[in-house]
Amino acid sequence: MGGRHEPSATGGWMAFDLALNLQLLFTGTGIGAIYALVALGTVMIYRATNVVNFAQGEFAMVGAYCMVITTHGLGWPYGLGILASLAMMALFGVVFNLGVYYPLRHRSFLPVIISTIGASILLTNGMLAGYGPEPQTLPSALGFDGIEIGEVFLDSQYMLIIGVTILLVVAQYFFFEHTLIGKKLQATSQDKEMASLLGIPVSRMIMLTFIYSAVLGGIAGILVAPILFVSVGMGSQIALKAFAASIIGGFGDVTGAIVGGLMLGIIETFGAAYISVPYKDAFAFLVLFAFLLVRPYGIFGEKVSQKA
Amino acid sequence: MPTLLELEDLSAGYGAIEALQSVSLSVEEGEIVALLGSNGAGKSTTLRAISGLLKPRSGRILLAGSPIGGLHSEAIVRMGIAHVPEGRRIFPGLTVRENIMLGASNRAGVTRRQLNEDVAEMFGIFPEIERFANALGWTLSGGQQQMVAVARGLMARPRLLMLDEPSLGLAPLIVQQVFKVVARIREGGTTVLLVEQNARIALSVADRGYVLETGRLIVQGKPDELWNNEEVRAAYLGGRVAQTG
Amino acid sequence: MIARLGLAALAILSLLLALGVGLNPYELNILVQAATYAIAVLGLVIVLGLTGQISLAQAGFFGLGAYGVALGTTIYHLPFLVSLVAGMVIAALMGAALGASTLRLGGHYLAMVTISFQQILTLVLTNWISVTRGPDGIRDIPRPILFGVSFAESGRYLAFCLVLLYLAIYAIWRLKQTRLGLGMQAVRDNELAAEVVGVNTYVTKVIAFILSAALGGLGGGLFAGGFGFISPDQFSFAESVVFMTMALLGGVQSPFGAALGTFILILMPEWLRFLKVFYLAIYGLAVILIVRFMPNGIWGYVEGLRRRQAPAPIGPVEPLELLSSRDVKGGTLLEVQDLAKHFGGLKAVDGVDLSIERGTCQALIGPNGSGKTTLLNVLSGIYKPTRGAIRYKGENVAGMSPHMLAARGVGRTFQNIRLFGSLTALENVVIGALRPGHDVPGGMAGVRARALAALDFVGMLDQAELIVSGLPYGYQRRIEIARALAGNPGLLLLDEPGAGLNLTEKQGLVELLRRLKGHGMTIFLIDHDMNLVEQVAECITVLNFGRKIAEGTPREVLRHPEVRKAYLGEETDADAA
Repeated sequence: MGGRHEPSATGGWMAFDLALNLQLLFTGTGIGAIYALVALGTVMIYRATNVVNFAQGEFAMVGAYCMVITTHGLGWPYGLGILASLAMMALFGVVFNLGVYYPLRHRSFLPVIISTIGASILLTNGMLAGYGPEPQTLPSALGFDGIEIGEVFLDSQYMLIIGVTILLVVAQYFFFEHTLIGKKLQATSQDKEMASLLGIPVSRMIMLTFIYSAVLGGIAGILVAPILFVSVGMGSQIALKAFAASIIGGFGDVTGAIVGGLMLGIIETFGAAYISVPYKDAFAFLVLFAFLLVRPYGIFGEKVSQKA
Repeated sequence: MPTLLELEDLSAGYGAIEALQSVSLSVEEGEIVALLGSNGAGKSTTLRAISGLLKPRSGRILLAGSPIGGLHSEAIVRMGIAHVPEGRRIFPGLTVRENIMLGASNRAGVTRRQLNEDVAEMFGIFPEIERFANALGWTLSGGQQQMVAVARGLMARPRLLMLDEPSLGLAPLIVQQVFKVVARIREGGTTVLLVEQNARIALSVADRGYVLETGRLIVQGKPDELWNNEEVRAAYLGGRVAQTG
Repeated sequence: MIARLGLAALAILSLLLALGVGLNPYELNILVQAATYAIAVLGLVIVLGLTGQISLAQAGFFGLGAYGVALGTTIYHLPFLVSLVAGMVIAALMGAALGASTLRLGGHYLAMVTISFQQILTLVLTNWISVTRGPDGIRDIPRPILFGVSFAESGRYLAFCLVLLYLAIYAIWRLKQTRLGLGMQAVRDNELAAEVVGVNTYVTKVIAFILSAALGGLGGGLFAGGFGFISPDQFSFAESVVFMTMALLGGVQSPFGAALGTFILILMPEWLRFLKVFYLAIYGLAVILIVRFMPNGIWGYVEGLRRRQAPAPIGPVEPLELLSSRDVKGGTLLEVQDLAKHFGGLKAVDGVDLSIERGTCQALIGPNGSGKTTLLNVLSGIYKPTRGAIRYKGENVAGMSPHMLAARGVGRTFQNIRLFGSLTALENVVIGALRPGHDVPGGMAGVRARALAALDFVGMLDQAELIVSGLPYGYQRRIEIARALAGNPGLLLLDEPGAGLNLTEKQGLVELLRRLKGHGMTIFLIDHDMNLVEQVAECITVLNFGRKIAEGTPREVLRHPEVRKAYLGEETDADAA
């Protein structure tokens, strides 16, 4: 990771250290982008099936491990490793849908949530059993460490994360707004029954959604791997924050997931620098608490209250 | 001309409810057939059974002689039945144009150009909604949504178009407009099965009608006959001494 | 009966074994872990199994109890029991706070709140080193000395834990048949119906969380005493998931099942030690498979087989008492003035005046979308009116929540029947009889007798012990009416009681309504079947587009030109002839 500045010793809050704050903003955006990607995957599944996938973080973990297996274990070149990993994630999405969601698609939300929690445990511990508890390293594919602009150091991996996220968000926007199949996916998530009445193959659309979510999760895992270590627990670390992010942004809303993720990453990073490092993870949940109590539908989201 | 749609002793229901009991009816090509009855009579259930949203319990549904009972709605729609369900159900987050385009989802191998031509044709039939082409579904009024829903149904180039309570929740003037369109559709050669609570307006466009009461067919005939029939009036407004059993 | 004796015998036997048989320390530790975990899992039975609220924070409460005992005994040198109770109280307070969040949140939002709480607690336990001693944990936690008797010896301590476990199991088993327990199950099965029947659903949910947290704290405190050493990583989100799995495996709706699931999942790895590396992965797989194939867990599966036996016959019942001679005869019971309900731009009800005379039956009709159900929902408290006054027995009740209206004697049924599906007909009707404001002499036995009387009144006495979800539609309809009648309502609101009934069943309904009228019951109903309405209603109000367009006797109303237009459609000039 790049060089960092210590908070200014003189003046604390009063001395506004521009370089430090820009650095924190950059780092926060990078981490926030990861949260946004994972949140996005969750939102996609939620919109299509009305189910919250508590195993979304494990999608990221599995993606990262796929990379480790292909590039370290099998010794493949990086590019091939990425392609293979993404292909494996797509397949994983299919298996996940068929094994976890599809058999329970007519039941209420509670069994499905619990089932995804079960999947989360299975994946975490399956990987543990298969690969062992030692964290793995996955070096960055980029040849350089980063760019210095004035006193601010832009880490290359963070730049890659932000760049890929921007690309993905733009690509996704085009896909959903300008292709027919994107429209069909939107229709399925807005009114499943009506979609099937028009002849849209709903099960296939849901399968596509799971595949997309799995690949998205995998990409998040591959991107964040050089920064955190690749460990079996990395998924749940990220996932819970990503959920918090999507609720803050507005659960069920695509823009909300992205905005919420970025906001959370930034709040967390600033909180760690200015308030306390050990409690860094608590910020996510405290902000979440606040939102749930005051504005549960988040910034962009759906109304939460019951209907008669 | 062959019978386009035939129901033979159809029974269907939800859970413990027997919504339809041994209903038989037929629709010939080129007709507008009205299915009438008060709330809870089983009209919507009939359409849902035909379009595959509900599995029949017994009896047969035949489309041009082929049995379709029990098939998935996606398959039935591909065979040429379009169901415009109760309450319009426009996709709220998509534009009017997108909603209409998706109506063609049952047709295989449609090019972008063909799609655009068809949409233009729909705007020709429904000039009132052309100016909303890029407006999101949820912003439209009930009557406008109904037009969009019917247009979307027609995009499937169906042999049989089923309309479920198109007048529901609409002001009388709008209802008149919608039904002018229904008459125009028949002129285009599409067969229509129309479910309606508003008997008067339904019978003003239909060639024939059936009346359901608590899941059973009680009478059928031409519009005049039905309108002057005591049983039809009774089915809607009571005034008959209760029979036991 | 045999089953109960068998379980009691088993319990006593286990205590004797614990005290007598010389188990080695390792085995005793496993059993203590199983017992204390089981107590915590019983908390999940209350909050999730009985009340249907998802809680993924149980390990947090377990931890609070554990730290309560650990800190209390080692740092503050308080007696074991005092520390145990202190830990439980703190856990209960936290549980109340979580429960309070259910006012606005349910479903996955509630899950998120509980997870957040769990995560924050873990962080605090790990990092607030000055208080909790941080990741190193706390050691040398003593075992209790009660009434001069030391429980340091492992067999004795195990017996101590088992006694508390069995007491808790018994308490929960009894809870299911109490007013609170039935209220909880009502909330789980159909929260809206529970509200309408008089259950204060919010308070019920908060109590569920408090009890659940207290049990978690109890288990944790005993766990601390059992192992002598605790550290924060034992009380993380992963443990909450473990508790959840144990509850699901055994059967989350039954205290026996939950205890069974716990013991299986703790003892099993000992038998399957060779699978240790894969054990947790199998755990996760087990959750997926259980949810899919045994949604009610092992116990639930066994119970399902058991219930198919024929129920015991019921003795003679007293006739149902409805209303009382103390009630005033005649006069206006319900008065509605300029009532409106808007949903954003949609004016579902647009300024309606209505008055219902005591002892009469009045009907509300109108085409689909005319606002009838909305009006009824406002009258029963489900919606708050946008404007207007509602006076029931002279009191302004506009805006009161459904359970408050139920307490005042407003009873209601729903168009798409809202019974408590997993309960028997009798239990459903008992819940109706337990409504606040309705005092039945003779305690639970008296309530039960009244419920049976209500079932008899609607002709459903033979179905009393049957689970309602398996009954035919017509029967369910009657049971729902019995549930309302059991509470001795002053006003009965019926939303399309004839919906889904065939001709014979409708005739039966007409007879039932006539009998109710004979008892002086005031009835206000919505229905589409004019036949039915004509036969029971003295007065009909007609709505269209949210406004009243006609009112009067059936004769007057059904010949009214506006009404005919609304139902049969406009007369065009050509058809005027």
